[in-house]
Amino acid sequence: MLRMLVLRDLQKTYTKLRLGYLWTLLEPLGMSIVLWLVFSVLLSRHIGQQPYALFITIAILPWWWFTKGIAQSTRSFKRNTNALRISLLPTEIWVLRVVLVSMIEFLFSLPIILIAMIFTRTIPGPLIIFYPVAVILQFLLMYGLGLLVASGVAIIPDLDRIVRICMRALFYLSPVLYSITKIPEHVQPIAAINPLVGILGLYRIGFWTEEIETPWHYGVSFGAVILVIGIGLLVFKKLEPRILKGV
Amino acid sequence: MARIHLTPELDSMIDFAGVGSSVVRQTRRGGGGRKHALRRMAGEFQNETEWILRDITTSVRVGESVALIALPDDGREEFLRLAAGTLIPDTGVVRRKNYVVPFVGVVPALDRSYTFRQNIYIIGGLLGMTPSEVESKVDRIAEEADLDGRLDKYLSNARPIVRQKLAWAICMAVETRAYAIEQLLVVGDGEYREHCWAELDQKRADGLTFLVSSDNDDDLLRFCDRAIVLGSGSIIAETSVEEGLAIRKEMVPSSKRKKDKARIEEDEEGEYEDL
Repeated sequence: MLRMLVLRDLQKTYTKLRLGYLWTLLEPLGMSIVLWLVFSVLLSRHIGQQPYALFITIAILPWWWFTKGIAQSTRSFKRNTNALRISLLPTEIWVLRVVLVSMIEFLFSLPIILIAMIFTRTIPGPLIIFYPVAVILQFLLMYGLGLLVASGVAIIPDLDRIVRICMRALFYLSPVLYSITKIPEHVQPIAAINPLVGILGLYRIGFWTEEIETPWHYGVSFGAVILVIGIGLLVFKKLEPRILKGV
Repeated sequence: MARIHLTPELDSMIDFAGVGSSVVRQTRRGGGGRKHALRRMAGEFQNETEWILRDITTSVRVGESVALIALPDDGREEFLRLAAGTLIPDTGVVRRKNYVVPFVGVVPALDRSYTFRQNIYIIGGLLGMTPSEVESKVDRIAEEADLDGRLDKYLSNARPIVRQKLAWAICMAVETRAYAIEQLLVVGDGEYREHCWAELDQKRADGLTFLVSSDNDDDLLRFCDRAIVLGSGSIIAETSVEEGLAIRKEMVPSSKRKKDKARIEEDEEGEYEDL
């Protein structure tokens, strides 16, 4: 059933737009190019690893998935009120659905990394095997966070606006544009609480082994992932009766 | 279907024990005085908890057809949804012997941007059918719903009557032992109504349980064995259908309820524009 809902959603996005699949590639590609131009060519700062174009592309794709998925899950119950009213299925599937749809779109956009690799002539090392691990971790994080915000809307109607601002802030607080190793050492432990630090790091260690220098970052981040899932499930269970009343 | 728990050892089909359900209504902050002036201007909302249903204790036996009689917007829909489990009670427990198929608001759940076939899969799935089960039934559903060949057309401009028939056909195709039906006991006109009745009578003869609410008194008189009468959120009487209808005639909608009704009608108009 869930598979069907996800397929329908994908079908909808890919048949309606004229360029269809190309948009999945063009959107993040455009963003990476802009950011690369600004930070590498115009400002020529060394805030990340070299080659910077690849460095940024690798983080932009998961970030794109993250914002898209979370923004959509805030609306997931509200958009499906009618279906929710007759559904005998577990309520969680509506959040799972948007997270899965955005994940598949993310997987579809992976060829961009290949383009960036060819463009910068870089070949990943053996640690690239951590890439799928990062995907799984991000999926879990998003499921927990998605449940949290989706059910939070039931008590705080303006939550989607708050989430939007938080995402903007999170973009700069997470090592998307920069490497965690480049910020002052005494701030690093605080930054690592952000689960995205560990996840983005895992995406990158296949290319830059420097990222692995501080393994405890990953420990802290994974702890945070588990915490987020726990809170998400708890809040969801608590608010489920109110969600079913139709927000 | 993890959400809905069944109690197979239950004697009756659906059992309500001290069930209550409330909604939080948002009203514009009233009150004069300087203190609240700013809040009034900002249009701040105030939350107000209203109990739609209070302390409902009753049960529906296996194989009976029960009419739920109440004024419109007086907890009928909530009662049916609680019975099916698509609403979780705030107090008390509802227990069921089998899955109860909620035929409450199925028509609005049809998605106009999908084809008839896709809608059958999705709605069928939501009501508890497995994809393979729908697969085997999709042709029969199309036939029942008089689709003749439109199965792969988009639903976009389908007339309300077509939607109703589709919803009805999907619901009737679900393999279940109990139904909770709001309004659409029979749909369509003339011949089709007869067809609906034949199907329903067959299901009743097979020993299925029905919980029905409708504004059409004749339907209730024809179909139901007994009635549960709701008034201001509580059970007033459990009696025969005739008496139940007589009791409802005496109930006068309070002015507040009239206002609520007007609000709901407005909403419905909006919905129709959308169709």
